[in-house]
Amino acid sequence: MTTLDDARNLRLISVEDVIGPPGTTRSGLPRTLSGWLTTTDHKAIGIAYAVTSLLFFAIGGALADIMRTELARPGMQIVDESTYNSLFTIHGSVMVYLFAVPFGFALANYLIPLQIGAPDLAFPRLNALSYWLYLFGGTIMLLGFLTEGGAADFGWFAYPPLSGPNGSPGLGADLWIVSIILTGTSGTLGAVNVITTVTMLRAPGMTLFRMPILTWNLFLTSFMILVAFPVLTGALIMLEADRLFGAHFFDPTAGGSPLLFQHLFWFFGHPEVYIVALPFFGVVTEILPVFSRQPVFGYKGLVLATLAISALSTSVWAHHMFVTGQVVLPFFAATSMLIAVPTGVKVFNWIGTTWGGSLSFEPPMLFAIGFLITFVVGGVTGVMLASPTLDFNLSDTYFVVAHFHYVMGGTVVFALFAAIYFWWPKVTGRMLSKRLGTIHFWLVIIGFNLTFFFMHLLGREGMPRRVADYEPADNFERWNLIATIGALVLTVSFVPFIAAIIKSFREPPTAGADPWHANSLEWATSSPPPSHNFTWLPPIRSERPVFDLRWSHYPEHTAPGMSEAWAARGGVPPPNGNGGVPPPNGNGGVPPPNGSDEEPAP
Amino acid sequence: MRLELILWIGVTVHFAWIGVLYAFIGDDPAGAALLIIAAGLGGLVAGWTWSWRRRHHQPRPEDLVDADAADAIGVVGVYPTASLRPLALAVGMTATVLGIPLGSWMVIAGVAITASQVALLVRDADQ
Repeated sequence: MTTLDDARNLRLISVEDVIGPPGTTRSGLPRTLSGWLTTTDHKAIGIAYAVTSLLFFAIGGALADIMRTELARPGMQIVDESTYNSLFTIHGSVMVYLFAVPFGFALANYLIPLQIGAPDLAFPRLNALSYWLYLFGGTIMLLGFLTEGGAADFGWFAYPPLSGPNGSPGLGADLWIVSIILTGTSGTLGAVNVITTVTMLRAPGMTLFRMPILTWNLFLTSFMILVAFPVLTGALIMLEADRLFGAHFFDPTAGGSPLLFQHLFWFFGHPEVYIVALPFFGVVTEILPVFSRQPVFGYKGLVLATLAISALSTSVWAHHMFVTGQVVLPFFAATSMLIAVPTGVKVFNWIGTTWGGSLSFEPPMLFAIGFLITFVVGGVTGVMLASPTLDFNLSDTYFVVAHFHYVMGGTVVFALFAAIYFWWPKVTGRMLSKRLGTIHFWLVIIGFNLTFFFMHLLGREGMPRRVADYEPADNFERWNLIATIGALVLTVSFVPFIAAIIKSFREPPTAGADPWHANSLEWATSSPPPSHNFTWLPPIRSERPVFDLRWSHYPEHTAPGMSEAWAARGGVPPPNGNGGVPPPNGNGGVPPPNGSDEEPAP
Repeated sequence: MRLELILWIGVTVHFAWIGVLYAFIGDDPAGAALLIIAAGLGGLVAGWTWSWRRRHHQPRPEDLVDADAADAIGVVGVYPTASLRPLALAVGMTATVLGIPLGSWMVIAGVAITASQVALLVRDADQ
């Protein structure tokens, strides 16, 4: 244990001691338009994924704002019913298919090769193809608004016969189906790429059980994508055959089965929830240890919990179909409740990671805590809905809307911003303002809870989802007005975020390779990383290679085997004295006087 | 590769047993079929991983707890240069799928672009 006197003379190594000061390496990003159009660099494609999915997030959010404005008062004010139907359909589809999943791929693209010490993904051209298919598919969905009859209006899960040839004859529905076929194909190809990369391109010493949890989660998410996405693509091709070629897969009047579509859809749709969530669980698991100055609590437990969630998530799908009366209730109720156990393990481990740590509340940490709060609320209502007796009453009410906005919306939005604030210095070499980030966080958490918490009450009072109008009874208008005000606060919350981005680009890129004094391998290369990522790799002897590197002069704090690894390389590099300098935002590089900083690895 | 093999065998076994269970109690042929097919998917990759392990030197440096960067010296991988082909291939695939509901010449153009780009990509890979 380091004492106060030691702390003043710490011989910590910083990454810059080894790879040179900030600004000496060039980022490998393309500099011209033709460079961006032809790039196969995983970092460029990762940035393209992130920017595109954030644009879709803005579009989906704008659609939500139109809906909330319409619902602020009883009566129809700004849109008609059929436009409202298109709005909620495209809002849901954009948020799920074009924002949440692709942002996971942005993380996978940018971070997996950096976290496992690889020069790129395994199939760079396939990766570029995935991105372009996603961009074109997403654009086609939005083009539906320009067609005669408007965009698809059957809800994001497109149940036939409403989505069939008689229910939705317009071209907008066809464009929606084409769009999901293309983005689904893109996702499948991306998953193949991630699995191959993690299997084949790890750096020496980076065993599976030393990979960061984020990489683990993206790896297992890709397993689920391989199982789930092709089923959706197949179901939608069948639906399109019904619509265009007179097939009768889902047409009950000709011997088809609408229930078959529901089974196919939810066999994709429930794993999809975890495909969306798991990458963001990984993000939070990367951030909490860094700002608690402790190793992650129960690393193997977290990996096993992710495995259990992935396995169980593929056998719970029909809990979305309880009210059809055509599914085995006990099987799906039991598996749905079981999945709360590994999820609870994760929450327990996240709390354990912060427990007794030396916490600092930088914006990434604030958003990670916001994630924990909203995710637990959404998880608890999820267990309630897993019970068929409750689900019969609450299905298709605003209670369900509140539930999945907490569990998917909250998870994604909070962890997304946590990820942006955390990895922004790695991607750009610049910090995002702590003050603006804190304002941003408080606006998001207030706006989010105002918008969605009162939807629980609305749903309990029996307000159905997907209706454009309601009677002024049972406090409906009060709760709806509060939700609309919350949506306004959420919209305003983007102002400090955009201001922080503009502010950071006006500053020089001096953040350095390791501004947060973090743990995983991406912080061992310069910010932004050079072409093909690494000019030098530290020895990898635990799941915290950069922590081990910083503390290499204190073998009692580093992972077993570090001393031998340095000896084989000819000795520990000497510190240049800037290892203990606090990073720009004052985060703890120097241990606090009580010496509780950075417990040694177990 | 040992752990990877175990993971894929786990995928296979999980889907097989839950598929058989569901086939008996589920009264739903679609779900049972999907689960069994998913077991097949896991088995396919598990089989490939098993055969890869037989054909290659084991264990690899990335599977050793005491390996260091120097143990994997040499060519790590051959990375392609920037290329317009992924974009062109995506245009072709999009045109093909989009042409079907639009019922237009786009399908023919899309198939032509897709085929030519795939051929060119394969040629690139052979060089």
